[in-house]
Amino acid sequence: MNNDLIKQHGLTLEEYGVINDYLKRELTIEELGIFSAMWNEHCCYKTSKKWLKKLPTTNDIVIQGPGENAGVIDIEDNDAIAFKIESHNHPSYIEPFNGSATGVGGILRDIFTMGARPIATLNSIRFGELSNFKTKYLVNAVVKGIGHYGNCIGIPNIGGECEFDSSYNYNNLVNAMAIGHVQKDAIFYSKPKTLGALIVYIGSKTGKDGIHGASMASDVFSEDDEDSKRPSVQVGDPFMEKLLMEGCLELMDAKLIESMQDMGAAGITSSSVEMASKGNLGVEINLDKIPLREPLSAYEILLSESQERMLAVILEENNEKVKNILKKWQIDYEVIGKITDTKRVIFQSKDKIVVDLPVDIIVDSAPEYDRPFNLPLKRKDKEFDLSKLNLEKCLNNILKNINYSHKSWVFDQYDSTVMGNTINEPGLSSGIVKIHNSSKAIGATTDCNPLYIRINPEKGMCLTVCESYRNLIASNLKPMAITNNLNFASPLDQNIMGELVLSINGLKETALYFDTPIVSGNVSLYNQTNDEPIKPTPVIGCVGYNSNYKKIISNSFQKKDQQILMIGNILSPKNSPYFLQDQLGLTEISAFNDICDPDFELEKKHKNFLFDSFDDNLIESCNDISKGGIMHSLIKMIKNELGFSIKIENELDLFVECTAGYIVVISTDNYQKLLDKAESLEVNIRNLGMVTTKGFEINQSKLNFNSIYDKYLNTFSDKINN
Amino acid sequence: MPLSSAVITFPGSNCDRDAQTYLELITGQVPHKIWHNDQIIPKVDIIIIPGGFSFGDYLRSGAMASKSPIIKEVLKHSERGGYVLGICNGFQILTEIGLLSGALNRNVKLKFIAKNCHIKKNNENFFNKKIQNDKILSIPVAHNEGSYYNSEEGLKSLEDNEQVAFLYCDKDGNSNNESNINGSLNHIAGITNKEKNVLGLMPHPERAFQDFHQSQDGQLILESLIS
Repeated sequence: MNNDLIKQHGLTLEEYGVINDYLKRELTIEELGIFSAMWNEHCCYKTSKKWLKKLPTTNDIVIQGPGENAGVIDIEDNDAIAFKIESHNHPSYIEPFNGSATGVGGILRDIFTMGARPIATLNSIRFGELSNFKTKYLVNAVVKGIGHYGNCIGIPNIGGECEFDSSYNYNNLVNAMAIGHVQKDAIFYSKPKTLGALIVYIGSKTGKDGIHGASMASDVFSEDDEDSKRPSVQVGDPFMEKLLMEGCLELMDAKLIESMQDMGAAGITSSSVEMASKGNLGVEINLDKIPLREPLSAYEILLSESQERMLAVILEENNEKVKNILKKWQIDYEVIGKITDTKRVIFQSKDKIVVDLPVDIIVDSAPEYDRPFNLPLKRKDKEFDLSKLNLEKCLNNILKNINYSHKSWVFDQYDSTVMGNTINEPGLSSGIVKIHNSSKAIGATTDCNPLYIRINPEKGMCLTVCESYRNLIASNLKPMAITNNLNFASPLDQNIMGELVLSINGLKETALYFDTPIVSGNVSLYNQTNDEPIKPTPVIGCVGYNSNYKKIISNSFQKKDQQILMIGNILSPKNSPYFLQDQLGLTEISAFNDICDPDFELEKKHKNFLFDSFDDNLIESCNDISKGGIMHSLIKMIKNELGFSIKIENELDLFVECTAGYIVVISTDNYQKLLDKAESLEVNIRNLGMVTTKGFEINQSKLNFNSIYDKYLNTFSDKINN
Repeated sequence: MPLSSAVITFPGSNCDRDAQTYLELITGQVPHKIWHNDQIIPKVDIIIIPGGFSFGDYLRSGAMASKSPIIKEVLKHSERGGYVLGICNGFQILTEIGLLSGALNRNVKLKFIAKNCHIKKNNENFFNKKIQNDKILSIPVAHNEGSYYNSEEGLKSLEDNEQVAFLYCDKDGNSNNESNINGSLNHIAGITNKEKNVLGLMPHPERAFQDFHQSQDGQLILESLIS
């Protein structure tokens, strides 16, 4: 085989050598395509596997950890929750509308493949600075794409993040998370069991879209690549996905399916190889049977990433029933092969065997690298001149910064109330939905603090995970388990490899301490263009639970004359990276001090204090404190013209970051009881002030409520529309 | 008097389950689930045509659904004087069938809108008779094509026959440019047929009736029918 051809398929000559040594023959072009698809980062995690293995993935509530289409956790009785986050970064830069739309489509298929009905989605999206020529176009198209797909299929979007930073100028990030509900005894897996069972193809016809999508997603971009790669972006059809979802759920409900696998990245190749590998069996597939949209070669069929397709294994006796249900939903269906005991993957095309490979060479011999990495440099503590900052300036810096603004411009384009079970809509500390016909509530949040992680990957990750817990705890949801989306630049750069290794380590420590296993995830590497790396962006998706939705605590002010308190450790300005960046304008990473140590004990103490106080009905509303400090948290709590009047000794304390920080609002009658409880649990409470009508008062200086709040609400649309 | 009901599902409907829950929890009766290819709807008091993207809305919204076999049953039911409620895509379908006059165009800002909006009662009918004239209802909308349009004569005829059921307004009840979220003619959020037994409504009352919803105003519509 020609060396150039091997390299074009994203394989190194060493990797090809491994295959050659094993098979002792040359590969067919179709087989080369299979290795290209299966041995890239996106499918086999060759750079990250060594480190991902260290993550805690089990405890009493985990029903399914990483390795399936989605992770599944137990939420008592016969109820379980399936969830996962996945990236569609590269396609969303090349063709933002379809790239982001199919990101939503892909993650929803991962959920209903498990037999779970999707109940919510979240999106973590990141763009370059607004002054970059492409940013506004990308924001418009990505948001439209996400909305188009999710709105049409009818799954509520309940939250996520939207951040702007120059490091994403040529690599915007689109991470989509989905959550589904399934009965514990009705979970489906991808592992086939029965020899001779039929392999069936369900869904859209196969076309040329997405060929080499998975290997594209593992490439470093150069700027002029954009146009030449566009045909690799898949095109989504949410209507077809809705039919596919209803059809598949009906098949599973009728117990007509033995196993199922979504045809996602690397299409039929990856789904059939994974099935064979999980079942320790073989598959034999006739490519002439695949429903096609246009004439395709065997090679193209194997690598197509056309959307809205499923591979299922069924018993022959169920064939007629399966056919009838799918006919009702007007979905293409074809028997394309069978399960064998050869432990080989065999594809035929036009009476010729084009692929005949042992499963273990594809899966078990997949490369795993231990890439060298650097530890971050130790930082010397620096002092900063804060003399030019005051309340007015700091407040103004927050109000005019799009990253702190209200994101309704985004969320108002997403249907957040379809399915009729939404409790917390997007924009609050976490999104919350009720389980249908049940009193159980599920909350979810996505979080990342790339600046923290760039400064100190390990500690930064610990703080990020703690923040995602607080987002849930503030609403009286118990953090249960995590899905992660590790977005990094090229791991061939030892500093970036260091960011990857250390942030996984931080995730491990935190998840172990708080017993929140990682049950699913995704890795997206090589997010850099023209040697411009993104900030490390390991996004955490955390799921929380409360068995009774009536116990959910609001994140907004409820009534005037209620008392505002805070708990948490207020950091000094020099140890608050976002404060330094957004108030003092620091940009060079070397200019920052190290970030503070995470304080797991304090986080835990505050969690216990809050859960205990929620149980005793002592708290009216609660919100977590993150970047933007106390002030930003208070602004987010404004609702129905209820504002605040507070006092604080040092006004800059309102803007710096905190650890284990929460705003707590209570009825004044409960003040003493809360103090007693705080004292018994050794929690320090700080009294800030009161909830007032249209109040925006700090240390007796009265600011204009309407103009401040309008600015907070409108900064996003003003900046995007102008 | 209990209210018996049916909900029609088209391929691409996505608020059918929500409509069933709405009917079941408020009327205490489980609605019949009807598939678009079914031939018969059992005799019921009200049929809901739910929201969603019937047939993907790849043609004009609701145009494909208006040709489904079940539509003749909807027509029969409405001729008998039975209630029909079309919500969102259901409203679009009712205009395509011709049971309601006018059309729903793309939102004036060309963006999908999902938010809580305010509406108020205009002309009285079976669906809003329990709602006080000065009551401002808070109900979510979620649509891409909700901008109500009609010809000048069509509009005049609607108003002459008192068929304008609900108007968009702000929280204080004023209808102005800002409160008219999708650019509908004359702030129209919902209309009836001449006989007033068929209502098309862009906002989603089935998302505003349970204790955890942001408002419970949606229940007033079904309660008006029950009384």
